[in-house]
Amino acid sequence: MISELLYIGVLLITAGAVSWIYFPNSFLKRYLLKNRDTSYRIRTEDALKHFFDCEERHLTGTLDSLAGFLNISRDKAAMVISRLQENKLIEAERDGIYRLSQQGRSYALRVIRTHRLWERYLADETGTDQMTWHYLAEKKEHQLSSDETDELAAKLGNPMFDPHGDPIPMKDGEIPQRKGFTLAELPVLETAQIIHIEDEPEIIYSQIVAVGLYPGIHIRMISSDKDRIRFEANGEEIVLSPQIAGNITVSALAFNEVIPEEYISLASLQVGETCRVISIAKAMRGQQRRRLMDLGIVPGSVIEVKFSSSSHDPRAYSIRGALIALRKEHTSLIYVEKTGV
Amino acid sequence: MNLNEHILKEANKLRFQIGENIHDAVISSIYQEANSIAGNAILLDRKKHAKVIDSKVDRIVTSKTWGFAIMFALLALVFWLTVEGANVPSGMLASLLVDTLHPFLKSVATQIGFPWWLSGVLIDGAYLALAWVISVMLPPMAIFFPLFTFLEDLGYLPRVAFNLDAIFRKAGAHGKQALTMSMGFGCNAAGVVAARIIDSPRERIIAIITNNFSLCNGRWPTQILIASIFIGTLVPPLYSGMVTAGAVITVALFGILLSLIVSRGLSNTILKGEPSSFSLELPPYRKPRLLQILYTSLIDRTLFVLWRAIVFAAPAGVLIWLTANITIDDKSIAHLFTVWSDPFALLFGLNGVILLAYIIAIPANEIVIPTILMLTVQILGMDNLGSGSGVMFEADSVSLTADILVAGGWTALTGVCLMLFSLLHNPCSTTIYTIYKETGSIKWTVLATIIPIIMGFTLCFIVAQGYYFLIN
Amino acid sequence: MQNTTQQCASCTVHNKKNLERLGIEMEDYNFLIALAGNPNTGKSTVFNYLTGLHQHTGNWPGKTVSRAEGAYIYSSKKYKLIDLPGTYSLLSTSADEEIARDFILFGQPDVTVIVLDATRLERNLNLTLQILEITERVVVCVNLADEAKRHGITVDPKYLSERLGVPVVLASARQGDGMQELLAAVEGVATGEITCKPHRISSLPEEIRKAIEQLSAKIETSFPGLPNSRWIALRLLEGDQRMIEAVGSGELSVLAEALVQSTNVT
Repeated sequence: MISELLYIGVLLITAGAVSWIYFPNSFLKRYLLKNRDTSYRIRTEDALKHFFDCEERHLTGTLDSLAGFLNISRDKAAMVISRLQENKLIEAERDGIYRLSQQGRSYALRVIRTHRLWERYLADETGTDQMTWHYLAEKKEHQLSSDETDELAAKLGNPMFDPHGDPIPMKDGEIPQRKGFTLAELPVLETAQIIHIEDEPEIIYSQIVAVGLYPGIHIRMISSDKDRIRFEANGEEIVLSPQIAGNITVSALAFNEVIPEEYISLASLQVGETCRVISIAKAMRGQQRRRLMDLGIVPGSVIEVKFSSSSHDPRAYSIRGALIALRKEHTSLIYVEKTGV
Repeated sequence: MNLNEHILKEANKLRFQIGENIHDAVISSIYQEANSIAGNAILLDRKKHAKVIDSKVDRIVTSKTWGFAIMFALLALVFWLTVEGANVPSGMLASLLVDTLHPFLKSVATQIGFPWWLSGVLIDGAYLALAWVISVMLPPMAIFFPLFTFLEDLGYLPRVAFNLDAIFRKAGAHGKQALTMSMGFGCNAAGVVAARIIDSPRERIIAIITNNFSLCNGRWPTQILIASIFIGTLVPPLYSGMVTAGAVITVALFGILLSLIVSRGLSNTILKGEPSSFSLELPPYRKPRLLQILYTSLIDRTLFVLWRAIVFAAPAGVLIWLTANITIDDKSIAHLFTVWSDPFALLFGLNGVILLAYIIAIPANEIVIPTILMLTVQILGMDNLGSGSGVMFEADSVSLTADILVAGGWTALTGVCLMLFSLLHNPCSTTIYTIYKETGSIKWTVLATIIPIIMGFTLCFIVAQGYYFLIN
Repeated sequence: MQNTTQQCASCTVHNKKNLERLGIEMEDYNFLIALAGNPNTGKSTVFNYLTGLHQHTGNWPGKTVSRAEGAYIYSSKKYKLIDLPGTYSLLSTSADEEIARDFILFGQPDVTVIVLDATRLERNLNLTLQILEITERVVVCVNLADEAKRHGITVDPKYLSERLGVPVVLASARQGDGMQELLAAVEGVATGEITCKPHRISSLPEEIRKAIEQLSAKIETSFPGLPNSRWIALRLLEGDQRMIEAVGSGELSVLAEALVQSTNVT
């Protein structure tokens, strides 16, 4: 009796599952339709981004360039273009050469705004690996509505640059400008800070990330010739090929920054030593950075290493009269100079 | 363009000029001035400052040699005091509320002329569930929370978080989770509320979701009872006490291990994108204020949790009574469900009674054993036991409980699987509700509820099937 | 004998009669008081002492999660007290900080009491200096003075008061020490008997200082009489959305009134 009931139950559940899969009911249909809408949106927005990119780089946007960029056939690309024209997002400049309309331009800027804001969000507020930022933002840029993007911007305090140093277009389409030159152009023995690292192509980006460079890091040029570029970044010597260095933009130091003579991290100090904070590395971002500053870790703060926990890490530091425990992963990003024992 | 828009335009222009370093620069300036003001406003007696015992105490309680030893000794003391100290008042409350007041209420109900079903629903159902929850829950909480609050007021708890942070960091969690976990050993709902002290959103959610892996005091009695019946008896009587205690502690430690593993899993998957930061302030030690401690621990914690439990327990009592007393073809719903679900439950080394007990006793783990006993007796037709058919009860002695359970077909395997399932099942409804209140998110609430259930069933299945495989 | 009675007119026991704790009964108040401070400075203890309530306190930062309210009567004036969440700063973007910041700015309390921890004065001054940029009606309560003494730290309230430009009271709220002085100072600032000349941040880098001046001059033309245009300018330069909206819609002043009303209702 019991086992039969059990079997009937199992049978019913299986039947339900099968019918749900094989007979496309309304729910399934709606899901598929929604999917088609999404892919339509993605293709439109990617096409707009392409034309925007072409204009920025003074290239010509054509049917072929679009097909190549989106990795689709020419026929499909033609369909995309005619759709964009119908919606008055692009205009034919001359035969076969297209450029964005006013409307298309602001649409493209909105997509770019979402992309860069999301990268900024991932960098500042989450622990996601920096190699995945771009990829995740490529997806997110097609999902957020214009209002959601504005909300995100507000939450982040309307930032001006993404974590690669690219400007984030403002709500009204205005783009913050930052002057700079490529790393290869930096004269020997000059100091500067990195303001932008191109995140495409990924192969080059991953090499830059691998040597530990990020926007905000301070560098000092040691030597540069046509084969290799040697420089110091936060006290460590790095050698890059000129080709890779071309993807890095640098500029003069910001008004309130000092270059220390020697890079010592708070983590490297022994218990009982005292030091003065010089700077917090720019790699420490968002919430964690704000929290440290709120606790009084700012340039000039005197910190004493008091004692370590039973398991070595974290350690307790005396900071502006309070006893604060910090983990090594964070203290290794705080640069200091020793002041005494 | 109006004036205000003009201001904003101007602000944007200036922002582009200044760049994003403004926040750092402003905070630096403020601290610079704070430093100059504070430096002159403070007179520091260096001798006295250096002599303060704080730093000496800290050197000891965070030292490699003594740190962990002191911590475990203190926490063990707290738990021992709780378990031992709660026995007597628990027994007194039970004899008052269950043994004396319950029959009295019944007789009053009969005299007034209540129909049997009304006195059943109200007195055997709602009242009895309440009585049980209060007598089992109140004394340990009334001891545990003041002790814990004492350590908190003293300033010792942040040092525990400090010492244990290394372990929790590897699990992607915050050292303060050690405290919410400890609190969870008292009561999971209180542990979930305590997660407020974790100021990093991601680590806080991790602490909330994994709190249920701390064996709360509603589950300790179940563990101890089942361990003494089914595991303590596997060895000679001389060692049985030790083996029983060992088994219960093993389950509790296993819970801690699982909570670390789940924390790590969560922080690497679902919670990967959640904001995270770490800092931990070690406040100076302060002399605890006893009255304040009693007030906060009793009113804010004990009564708060108890009240929520009561709110959920009364309707559950009604439900339990109804399932045991509504009959179809002379068999109660509970009986029918039990028999029907038995083959399914056996796959997991459990039985239908246990499944049903965990479903209907969701408001409080305290009433699981009374419910199990009630159901077992009813199904076996042992009407001479307990307080009448379809009424929850607790046997007078461990050996009587053992007899009932063995008669119900329980084996050592059932015992082990029940202990595991008691560790790994959904949080009680009070805790679920609290999780929802604290996170404000259905997603995290559902996750916190189903993760332990799935783990519980999986683990019981592996243990049971492994056992069947070995004995064949 | 007579001598003793006279002396007692000014002693704590006598003055205690001046304070009537009202718990949560807070209709028709004369003055609205905000209680701000770093986490774990004994802010809740001060709150509990004045209102007779039992807001949870503990030696552990971040205990007060939601906003607590209470009331008391002092010298026949009724005060409503709002315990703001403890924060280290008002310049970041956490939810707690937003609550505290919005209340001090838009809630327009008659007095903001800042509770400081005497043992960690320097760090606590960070928040104090920020609040002084927003409002000038401030009383600073340097709490945990007894604990500081135990640590060999003596705080000079007169010097602090001179530098900060607002009344400073030394207190040990757990023992009830200094509470009378606090009540008197709050009354003084609330009734306008004491005028404050708050300290303003002056060591900002040239570039930022200029930008703030430029912007705050514009803000003052648009919102005449605004006491904290410098601070609003700073927030705009940091991209604070709340401030952008408040300025953009011109509601900076209107919003303030609305918020006062909403706190009266709750």
